[in-house]
Amino acid sequence: MSNLIELDNVGKFYGNIIALQGVTTTVNAGEVTCVLGDNGAGKSTLIKILSGVHDHSEGTYVFEGEECTFTSPRQALDRGIAAVYQDLAMVPLMSVWRNFFLGAEPTIGRWPIRWVNKSKAKRIAKEEMAKMGIDIRDTEQPVGTLSGGERQSVAIARAVYFGAKVLILDEPTSALGVKQSGVVLRYIVEARNRGLGVIFITHNPSHAYPVGDRFLILNRGQSMGNFAKEEITLPELTQLMAGGAELEQLQHELEQAVSGGA
Amino acid sequence: MTDVAVNSDTNDSASGDERLAYRGVFTRMLVRPEIGAVIGSAAIWLFFWAVSEQFGTAGGLSGVLDVSATLGIMAVAVALLMIGGEFDLSSGAATGALGIVTILLVKDIGELGGAGLSLFIAIPLSFIVAMALGWYNGTVVERTGLPSFIVTLATFFVLRGFKLGFSKLTIDNISVGRIDEGHGFDFWHPIFASVWTRNDHIWDTRDVAYTVGILLGLALMVLAVYEGNYLRKKVPNVTGLVLFAGGVVGTVVGVLLMHNTNGVSGDVISGLVISGSILVGLFGVALWRYEPVTGDNHIHLDKRVLELTGLGVVLIVFGVVCALVVDVDGQETILNRLPVAVEWLITIAAFALAGGIVWRRNGGGTSGTDLGTVAMSAARAGLVGAISIFAFMFMTTEQGLRAILFVGLATTGLILLAMGALRARRSSALSGSVILALNSAAIAALALFIQAESGHEKFRTEIFSVMMFGAVVILAWAIVSGHYQQRRAADHEADRLSTWLSGIGLVAILIGLISRLLWTTSDEIESGVAVANFRMSILWFIAFTAVATFVLGRTKFGSWIFAVGGNKEAARQIGVPAAKTKTQLFMIVSGAAWLVGLLLAFRLQTLQSGTGNGLEFEYIIAAVVGGTALTGGYGSVLGAAIGAFIMAMSKQGIGLALWNSDWRFAFLGVILLGAVMANNFIKAKAEAVR
Repeated sequence: MSNLIELDNVGKFYGNIIALQGVTTTVNAGEVTCVLGDNGAGKSTLIKILSGVHDHSEGTYVFEGEECTFTSPRQALDRGIAAVYQDLAMVPLMSVWRNFFLGAEPTIGRWPIRWVNKSKAKRIAKEEMAKMGIDIRDTEQPVGTLSGGERQSVAIARAVYFGAKVLILDEPTSALGVKQSGVVLRYIVEARNRGLGVIFITHNPSHAYPVGDRFLILNRGQSMGNFAKEEITLPELTQLMAGGAELEQLQHELEQAVSGGA
Repeated sequence: MTDVAVNSDTNDSASGDERLAYRGVFTRMLVRPEIGAVIGSAAIWLFFWAVSEQFGTAGGLSGVLDVSATLGIMAVAVALLMIGGEFDLSSGAATGALGIVTILLVKDIGELGGAGLSLFIAIPLSFIVAMALGWYNGTVVERTGLPSFIVTLATFFVLRGFKLGFSKLTIDNISVGRIDEGHGFDFWHPIFASVWTRNDHIWDTRDVAYTVGILLGLALMVLAVYEGNYLRKKVPNVTGLVLFAGGVVGTVVGVLLMHNTNGVSGDVISGLVISGSILVGLFGVALWRYEPVTGDNHIHLDKRVLELTGLGVVLIVFGVVCALVVDVDGQETILNRLPVAVEWLITIAAFALAGGIVWRRNGGGTSGTDLGTVAMSAARAGLVGAISIFAFMFMTTEQGLRAILFVGLATTGLILLAMGALRARRSSALSGSVILALNSAAIAALALFIQAESGHEKFRTEIFSVMMFGAVVILAWAIVSGHYQQRRAADHEADRLSTWLSGIGLVAILIGLISRLLWTTSDEIESGVAVANFRMSILWFIAFTAVATFVLGRTKFGSWIFAVGGNKEAARQIGVPAAKTKTQLFMIVSGAAWLVGLLLAFRLQTLQSGTGNGLEFEYIIAAVVGGTALTGGYGSVLGAAIGAFIMAMSKQGIGLALWNSDWRFAFLGVILLGAVMANNFIKAKAEAVR
């Protein structure tokens, strides 16, 4: 098991605002690292650091044994770190194969007469989707006609095909129904089984727990801990995520309110 | 976690079999964005062909193509830009500006404003100016993040001011000439402005090429539809092949017979031979290649089918009766022919009808509606109704009313019959073909009626033969679709063959049409055929459209255009150079404006400072009529070219029909709204079929 990403005490300041502090975790090949946290916990900041949108202000970010500071998403992508954003990933009116190969279309011929190898692109898109367990009959179909879960899976399959070693999934299940979420969780496992390191960002512990191998819990920009699966249970995870003591107090108050009302 | 489990779940979540079902040839054609424009252009062509003597001739078409060329080059470029999600309101003014720049560059130094350069330097130089203009538009839009609407509107005003101010300042004149003073004019003139004069090109066997091309093309298209729609037999039936060969021979014999006989009886006999042979030939192909329907194929017509069919037949009969009853020669407008009492009666009826509708809409007075409000809106509605009825009667002659009633009723009737056939197909293939055969019979009957009744020779000959041909093809289709199984699954080989056949068929038809358009015969010259000039700009238009289609559909850049228009952020995230792509699109538009500017300059030798101003909206309209979405990310280059053709037809057609050309704008408005509504409707239908 090789460490793909090692974060040690990583933090980010915007001027005098501390957006993130003291984050330490690892991402291994063939493992899912879940990042959990409520709204405003610093999840987005962490993704932006990992995927190269921002650089970090303190700590060390080690990728494949090499310390690095990315200044653009393109740099991170070239190293094999691909981020799949929930709503920004696809062009809805474009066909599946065009979306799949967007920006990296296979071509035939030499400049100035160079065109897209349509049949190859369609074939590969179909094959890669099949590997993820989706049988798309017609890759000419616009992505907008796919369901939310399938759209995510096109994005995941695309990242995998273009040599991603680490896949960052930003809240892939938050806008989906129960069944669709299940579908996406299976793709996450599928990607893991193919040897990728997956970073799965969510605020839903019951989605994270079944697929995760490691859990990083964030609250108000602070790391609340970094656990391997065997070190923590689902209820503990839920409690930690909501800020531990705070939740207990809330529960207490709610119980009082309910019994008082009755 | 196994693959199987994932599979079963995704099949579930993908909305079932419906989405995976095989789509037939027609459905796939309907999904194309330009289909609305194709149907629209056919309808408008037919309309002007019917009302104008000149429009349908080669001379009329050369005029239409001439106008559509300069409009179309710009519409194509603007469509690319719109698919990329931006507008360019300076595109119209830019055509004139770049033409003027070229002229000013070659004018003699002696005159104010001239640079006295050779055209060999001036043309590349003005191209550089064009690229700079496009780059400026694109960069400002990208850098400031302002809507391109505002940025290019500013550019439009600047260009307009420059054109007027500069030409007034330097040569004290609003027209800038002349480009033929430039060095190298003789070299460049043929490239941008040579003319093909039809009357100078005589080719006496032209009609043979025309007939062969059209017939071969239609036959291949029909075969393509068969191949795309029907399930192929494992073991072909040789008898069918023999029948097919017989049909082909019969058709050829029929055509030869028609050419070598004069008089009605010869025409009727050869017509019968041709249509019979076509039927036999088509049935032969089906027997040879396709799998017959097995199992229960009963005739079952439900209530709705009977209603549709009955109503269709009634409407067609009613249309025929109207055509028989209304005065054939009535050239006066209807309003002039009516007694005053009838006018009053119509007015009162319009008021009453509209009032009644409003009354019922507002609850019929039962609930507590305000009587005053109802009366006011009723009066308003009545006024509008009465005015529109009078406007219609004021504009329409009795002859016109007769045509409108007949065409409207008959077409509606045929459409209802077709709907009935579609619905009957649901219960069984045979039921569908029964109604389809009825449709074919109705078309044939209408064709015979037109031949007997029409005062116009072109209706008696051209429309009659086209309708009869249509009736034969529909009848053959009815027979075949009732007996042979439709394909239910995609078949790569059959799809490929179908595509190739229809492609070759289209080329054959085009060769036939082009030979008829570009060449004339000695007979035509003797009978004094009108002059038709085809200009070089048409070739530029075709070439530009072809290149743009290739770029949009088949290249990386084309994918990026769709992407930046559809979801710019996503495109950027994935690594598409979004800002660069958009800037290049603006440069393509200004490059097209440069080309159009040169075409105009070389053709007219001199340009007005107002040239092109205001045309930018026509480019946008042409693109939208062609199915390009105003929101970006969806559209077609070919559609924009056809849209430009539609605009040109309405421009030229109104002139050729000898109407006041002011009506052009009213016509354009109606076309724009109608086309967009039709496009949306078709798109929604197509999405539903997906």
